[in-house]
Amino acid sequence: MSLQTTLNRWFRSFWPPFVAVLLFMALWEAAVRFFHIETWILPSPSVIAQEASRSASSLWDHTLSTLQLTLIGFAIGSAVGLLVACALHLLPLLKSALYPLLILSQNVPTIALAPLLMIWFGFGLLPKIIVITLVCFFPVAVSAMDGFAQTDRTMLNYMRMIGASRLQIFRKLEFPHALPALFSGLRIAATYSVMGAVIAEWIGAQKGIGYYMILQKSAFRTDRIFVAILIIVALSLLLFLLVTLIEKMVVRGGRRSGHEEGGEGR
Amino acid sequence: MSSVTGQKEHQGTAQTQQPHPVHSSDASVQAPVKLELDGVRKSFGSRRKPLPVIDGVSLQVREGEFVSLIGPSGSGKSTLFHLIGGLLQPDGGEIRLDGRIINGERGHIGYMPQQPALFPWRTIEENVVLDREINGIPRRESLDEARRWMARAGLSGFETAYPHMLSGGMQQRASFVRALLSPHGLMCLDEPFSALDAFNRSEMQAWLLDIWEETRRSVLFITHHIEEALLLSDTIYVLSGRPSSVLKRIEVPFPRPRREEIAESPEFLALRRELTGWMKEEQRKSREGTGGRSV
Repeated sequence: MSLQTTLNRWFRSFWPPFVAVLLFMALWEAAVRFFHIETWILPSPSVIAQEASRSASSLWDHTLSTLQLTLIGFAIGSAVGLLVACALHLLPLLKSALYPLLILSQNVPTIALAPLLMIWFGFGLLPKIIVITLVCFFPVAVSAMDGFAQTDRTMLNYMRMIGASRLQIFRKLEFPHALPALFSGLRIAATYSVMGAVIAEWIGAQKGIGYYMILQKSAFRTDRIFVAILIIVALSLLLFLLVTLIEKMVVRGGRRSGHEEGGEGR
Repeated sequence: MSSVTGQKEHQGTAQTQQPHPVHSSDASVQAPVKLELDGVRKSFGSRRKPLPVIDGVSLQVREGEFVSLIGPSGSGKSTLFHLIGGLLQPDGGEIRLDGRIINGERGHIGYMPQQPALFPWRTIEENVVLDREINGIPRRESLDEARRWMARAGLSGFETAYPHMLSGGMQQRASFVRALLSPHGLMCLDEPFSALDAFNRSEMQAWLLDIWEETRRSVLFITHHIEEALLLSDTIYVLSGRPSSVLKRIEVPFPRPRREEIAESPEFLALRRELTGWMKEEQRKSREGTGGRSV
């Protein structure tokens, strides 16, 4: 598969949604102008674009601050999720005791816990990281545990027959086998973590996109809120792509398509 | 319990026909016993309602001997392997390797499963050294050996390929090389060719025959393919239907090195007819037995 065909294929799958978005924007712009809708209710795309370019420099700091918070929270949350998954998988008794509780805990809305965490831990970095960790950890833990549990039976049987220890089976079979599942959990966690960071900033911060949104809300600057939303979407996408890139580098072998066949070597 | 069928006369005729008596199977008859099963029993199910699967199986694999187990489907052949591999603990009897009891002990055998079971994230050469890696032999040390045997198995050029790029037959050859490179003396092969089509299968049999005669490892081979067993083995154990025990022990008289052509010799055909008869009989008995047997 050459670069040319890759680009071609990408272009072909890219243009229909692109045109759809363009049409939607045009419709939006036309509707706002035609019905004379006030900017503080619904700004037109052109107004939002103007505002974005105008306040870009002042938004850069907020964006960086949110990105930093997101990355720290995502890293810690994913690490905790992975550790919990490994521990529960290797200790079946612990899993049967805690797994139902883990599922149940997801019914507690993390966002509702945020104010409580602010009261307990103040307005510093810690409570915000805890919020993101709580949001991230669940998809990572569950997808990793499912990945471990779905290990190929014939491979498992082979490892047992040749006398591999429990830890060897985990390290050499179950863990690499679960990597694709783990990465789909990480992708979900990546987008969640941006949301977690923004919500944490809503509740108490002096910097960041979430803080910026709260500020603009009280000033009825709807256009600026839209700019903030655009930034959040961009951040989510960026993290999602980052995780996908890491997956491409880490996951080896048959699960990736588009491999060239090696030459016949007889 | 086990009977030696016409061993002497077969051996005699074979010797006179073949100019290479050194390679004939009688060399392994005097060899020390590698694996011995002595009255091994195993039941599944509950204590009050046990379901006997293995009922007093005794057999021997000598050093450098190729031994096949054939029996009707459902005769507990795979259970027998799990017992030898130590995944299951026998209810009675002894499993001895080099004279030492290994009941319920793992890590004494090389194994080739029915499906290739190559790890998709490892290259072929990384797959092939897996058994050695598990047994603590450093990877770099094994790779030279691995490359040599991969070349012998027609896998050179595919050392750094991933399993999904290989055909079914090639994957199975890689799986065999993995078992061959195992540091343990005994190789257990569990119906390794059953997933292949007829053409691939006979090609693989010829290949296995060739490579085994070069290495002379002790092999225990499960199959339900009578010709395959006759072609490859020094000794064949015929298992009965469930609960299984050894019905017959046959010493295969054909000298080594063997060629596929022996499959057309009258001796081969006679043995095949005999074995087919027993197998059919067992299959019939076990079919009738499942309905009527009270536990």
